[in-house]
Parts: sequence; C-alpha cells; structure tokens
Amino acid sequence: MNSTATFAEERNPTDWQGDVMQKRIRKRYAAERRFKALGLGAIILSAGFLAFLLIVMVGNGLRGFTQTELPVEIDFPAMTGGAAASQFEGANGQANLRTLGVQDIVNASVQIQYGEKGTELFSAGGWQAVSAAILTDPKIVETKTTLYLPVEAEIDVAYKSDGSASAEQKVTELDDKLSTGFNKNFLFNSDATDPMQVGIWGALKGSLITMFITLIIAFPIGVLSALYLEEYAPKNRFTDLIEVSINNLAAVPSIIFGLLGLAVFLNLFGLPRSAALVGGLTLALMTMPVIVISGRNAVKAVPPSIREAALGIGASQMQVVFHHVLPLALPGILTGTIIGMARALGETAPLLMIGMRAFIATPPSGIVEPATVLPVQIFLWSDEVNRGFVEKTSAAIIVLLLFLLTMNALAIYLRNRFETRW
Amino acid sequence: MTELLDSTSSSESSTMTESSAPAISAGDGPLKMTTRNVDVFYGDKQAINDVSIDVTMDNVTAFIGPSGCGKSTFLRCLNRMNDTIPIAKVTGDITLEGEDIYAPKMDVVQLRARVGMVFQKPNPFPKSIYDNIAYGPRIHGLASTKEDLDNIVETSLQRAGLWGEVQDRLQDSGTALSGGQQQRLCIARAIAVDPEVILMDEPCSALDPIATAKIEELIHELRGKYAIVIVTHNMQQAARVSQRTAFFHLGTLVEYGVTSDIFTNPTEEKTRDYITGRYG
Ligand SMILES: Nc1ncnc2c1ncn2[C@@H]1O[C@H](COP(=O)(O)OP(=O)(O)O)[C@@H](O)[C@H]1O
Ligand SMILES: [Mg+2]
Repeated sequence: MNSTATFAEERNPTDWQGDVMQKRIRKRYAAERRFKALGLGAIILSAGFLAFLLIVMVGNGLRGFTQTELPVEIDFPAMTGGAAASQFEGANGQANLRTLGVQDIVNASVQIQYGEKGTELFSAGGWQAVSAAILTDPKIVETKTTLYLPVEAEIDVAYKSDGSASAEQKVTELDDKLSTGFNKNFLFNSDATDPMQVGIWGALKGSLITMFITLIIAFPIGVLSALYLEEYAPKNRFTDLIEVSINNLAAVPSIIFGLLGLAVFLNLFGLPRSAALVGGLTLALMTMPVIVISGRNAVKAVPPSIREAALGIGASQMQVVFHHVLPLALPGILTGTIIGMARALGETAPLLMIGMRAFIATPPSGIVEPATVLPVQIFLWSDEVNRGFVEKTSAAIIVLLLFLLTMNALAIYLRNRFETRW
Repeated sequence: MTELLDSTSSSESSTMTESSAPAISAGDGPLKMTTRNVDVFYGDKQAINDVSIDVTMDNVTAFIGPSGCGKSTFLRCLNRMNDTIPIAKVTGDITLEGEDIYAPKMDVVQLRARVGMVFQKPNPFPKSIYDNIAYGPRIHGLASTKEDLDNIVETSLQRAGLWGEVQDRLQDSGTALSGGQQQRLCIARAIAVDPEVILMDEPCSALDPIATAKIEELIHELRGKYAIVIVTHNMQQAARVSQRTAFFHLGTLVEYGVTSDIFTNPTEEKTRDYITGRYG
C-alpha cells in the first residue's frame, strides 16, 4: 500500500498529448508507411521479373508451336497410277502406304512446281505429313490435292524472324506462297536432327514416367520415415544423428545424387543406362529428404491433445498414427511433396550423370527403355547449332512450365480436400 | 486398516473419525481401484511420493491441492497415460479389480478403454459428432451392426446430457460445438467404450460457470454407473461433486477421507490452511 503511494508521487503524470508524444506517434506512422512501401516495392519487383520471364518465354516459345508451310499440289491419280482409297483403310493401310513410295511422289510433285532444286526448300521429313494425311483421309489419293508441307528450317526461321541472307532472299521470292500453320510434329514427335521435325512428346512421356517412379518410391518411404521418427523412435543421440543427416541430405547438390545413382543403380545393380527407372530412383533419393523433413514438421504440428484423446479411449499407437496423426498431417506432407517433386521435375544434372543425355528419337514405352526428360531435352536443344532449335527450346520450356503448373494445381486441390476444418 | 478397506456398510463419518493417520482408504462400497506406495519420477525428480488411495465404485473421488503438487501425474498413473512420457517412471502397486495394471501381461490399450479419461482442455477429434463417439466402439469392435453403433452413440450422448442439443446435427464437426458441449462430447466419447472408471483432469477449468454447472450435474448422474475420479483446483467444486477427497501437497498425500469431513473438520494442519485459503 505504502510503496505504491510513494511510487505515484515520484512519477510525473505522463503527458499523452504533449509534443514528445505527438512526435513519437508521427515517427511510428512514418515507419509503418516505409515498411509498407518497401514490401509493396518488393512485390512489384518480383512480379516484374516474373512478367518479363513469361513474356520472353511465351513470345519466343509460341513460335515453336507453329511452322512455315508451302503449298504442294499432288496429282495422286496420275502419280500413283490409280491407287484406290480402300487400300489405305484398315489394318493393311500402313503397309500399302509404304509400297506406294510417298516420298518419291512428294519429291516429284515439288520438283514440278518449284523446279529442280525445289526439294531443298522443304524440310527433309516433310513428306511424312502427306503419309499422315492419307491415313487420316484415304479419299485424297483419288483426287488432285493441295497439301501444305513444312519448309526447311533456315527458311522457317527467316520467315518468322531474321534468318541468314540466302534464306531471307528465298523468303522474299516465295512471300506470297508462304504461310504459317500449326506444328503438330512438336506435340507428337520426339527428338530429331531436323528442327522442323522435333517434338516434345518423347521427353514429356519420359518425364511422366520418371516422376511417377519418383513419387511411388519417395512418397511412401518419406512419409513412413517421418511418422516413425516422430511417433515411434526414441529421442536419443542416434536419432539426433539421423535427423542431422537427413537435413544435410536435403541440402546436398543434386549432381552428387546423380553420381550416387551412377555408382549404385548402374554399376552395382547393373540397371540399363538412360532408363526412366534409374532416373526415377535417383530423383527419389533426392526428393526423399525433403518429404521426410516436411513430413516431420507436419506431424509435429498435430496437437498432442489429439494423440492423448485417442490414446485415452484405448487406441493403439498405430491407430493413433494412422487414424488421427496422418490425416491431420497430410496437407503439410503434400505441400512438402509438391516442393520436392517440382524440384525433381526440373532437375537436369543428376540425370545427365546416369546417361539420360542420349539422342532418343522414339518415346519410351516402358520404365527400362532409354528415355529423356523435359529439362534434359531443353538442355540438349539449347546446345544445338541450328537456329531452328532456339524457338523449340523456348517452346519446350513452356511445356515444362505447364507441366509444373498442372502438377501444383493438382496438389493444391488434393491438399484442400484433405485440409481439416477445426 | 484392512477392516476399513473391507467395510461396506459402516457409515461414512464413523469410518473416518476412527482413522487418525492419513487414510489409505475411505472405502465405502465395492473397491474399483487400489493404489499402494506409488512413487512417480520424472527423470531424477520425484513428482509423487508414496501415495496410497482406494477408488470405490459408488463414490466420486476428488483430488485437490495446489498447482504442481502432482494431481495430474497421479491421475495419469491410473490408466498408464504416463507411459507416453519417456522419462516418467512409476513404482508401487496399482490394481483395477484386483489386477495389477502395471503387470507385463496387462494390455495397455484395453486398460485405457476400461479406465477412460477426460482432459483439461476439451479435445474432440476434428471429425463429426457421430464419428467422435463411434470411434472408440469401432476400434474395440463393440458394435456388430450399424444399428448397434447408432444405439451406442445415442445412449452415450444421452448419458452425457448432450443428445437433445446435437441429435439433429450428428454429422456436424465436433469442434464446432461450444466449449462446454465439447467437454460433454468428450465425456460421451469416454462413456461410449463402456469404461469402468472415468478419470477427469480439471474438466471444467476451461469452461464458463454455466457449462461447469452442467458438467457437475452430469457427474452426479454418472455416479454409481462408473467409478469417477476428478482432479480439480476448485474446492467448492470438490465439495459439490465428490464424496471422497484426497488432498495432495508437494507430491505427497496429506489427507484422504470423506469430503464433508475434509472440508469441515480436516485432521491435518496443511489441509486446513489450504481449505481456508491461506495458501495455494
Ligand atoms: N512431462 C513432464 N516432465 C517432467 N516433469 C513433469 C511433467 N509433467 C509434470 N511434471 C512435474 O511434475 C510435478 C507435478 O505436476 P502435475 O502432476 O502436472 O501437477 P498438478 O496437476 O497437480 O498441477 C510438477 O512439478 C511438474 O513440473
Ligand atoms: Mg494438472
């Protein structure tokens, strides 16, 4: 009692309206405004970088989805000596088409219209578009048909943007005939030497298979490790050591995982080089620590009261883990998995180490077939001398980014579905 | 002492006045759980020192005492919840219906179904009200058909006095209920596995007075159906709901006896001081 009285006497009453106070308030507001401005600036800057990246990529890349074409009139009845449409229907269509000699027919037609050296204007594999056209609509072999075939890469580049002097000259000569069409090859083909014929499908399929293997290996092992370490393992020096090791593994440069994959999967187990299986396993090694760490954090964040509640009515440790802890931790685990998988999807270096840098002209049909993946394909194309590959590289990047976005969207959808409303 | 333990007919007050030393037993009615010379250590630190108490079927037993005196620790020995704390070590004898619950052959999972627990903070599962109650019966296989399970859910909620309030929204989340309703849901969840003993650790400390009154009323109704042990720091509550009271201080049992005696005529100086509010 006494002491509070003296205390009040000793102390001057605070002047909340005084100058010093007002100045303090103004300073506080100013600091607040500065912080807001800084934050906003940071956001605008990063949005700017992102927009720049997207504009450049999309601007360059979209051209990769188109091709420059020239019309070729083919007089099928005269050239084939009267082949019937029915020959190219059904099961024998392919075989009959091969005996027909489409390439010669196309070359002859081209030479008629564009002169002796006309074939040089066209992409070497362009005639395949005619085969495809016959297979989809056999009736055209009974008529005189005009088809649009892709031009040679130099001219393609010159028509779309700036090319070499000789190509530019040809473009001026042919200007009224040249047109732009959708490049189906790019979506359905695999790697090729001619940029007009390359496609992304092989690499996309390789990526899909590789990611699938990474997921089915890394996710269950990562989640089970996280659950075991958090819920079962005793806390001692040994488990501390394991924790430190896992944290370090997550920070190890990816190329080292590639060396590990090379040493273990190829040299020790003798698995085939360049296979999606080995790629998936290597990336799984890299992704697992990320899943374990995020999984442990998610498991830790489950309130202990829920565990007590379940134990208190006689749930076994395993029932507690699988009925209560895992469902509540799943959204967090999924977030970590997405981050890990996104990193794995964009990874190039470790895959180069296990031989996934080969020229793969056919899409892989299984997990042990030679395969390539999107980022490696991008890397390989970016290294090509032919200028036609520049826009293909950008286009492949767009495909990779779309893949990534789809994967993330799916994961966010899943996460929201499993999110518990408290 | 043995005579006291076994006495089932003698009146409460006569039993207690005869006893002089801190009583092991305030026995009346069939014994449900007995504890003898229980010590609990957290690492090197002793949290419970030589406590012996009997829990009877027909009485509500209250544990009172200042914060940190070991009430929760001792309560958690009764269904071996302390097993989940790696550094906790329990010695002494604790029996349920004469069976040693710390014996190697005792199944902890079953023990915790037989000795249910209600915690300080309401902790319903983030699931529907129905699933909150049905979870226990499901994992113990107590219901063979959907009707059985519906039945268990309904009777459990009825016993917990919650049925009227939630019967139309059994599929709503249990966490959407008010604090008091959540705590009654937790009691119903414990009842659903048909326990013999219900342990409550300060079940009202997070609740407002009206919700508290409802829980107290519920404890009255459940008395006799289950052996009930309640930890409380609220002495009025202990006086209102219990028939037996144990006063703990610094890990020791100071006094155990008939509630009315403890509150009106405590034998120990410390108990008197605590009850009259001189410390605590
Ligand atoms: N998990 C634990 N680890 C270590 N010490 C603990 C633990 N739980 C409780 N204690 C200690 O045991 C003593 C008794 O605690 P508790 O039983 O919670 O008391 P009460 O419930 O009576 O307030 C306290 O000194 C507390 O610090
Ligand atoms: Mg307590």
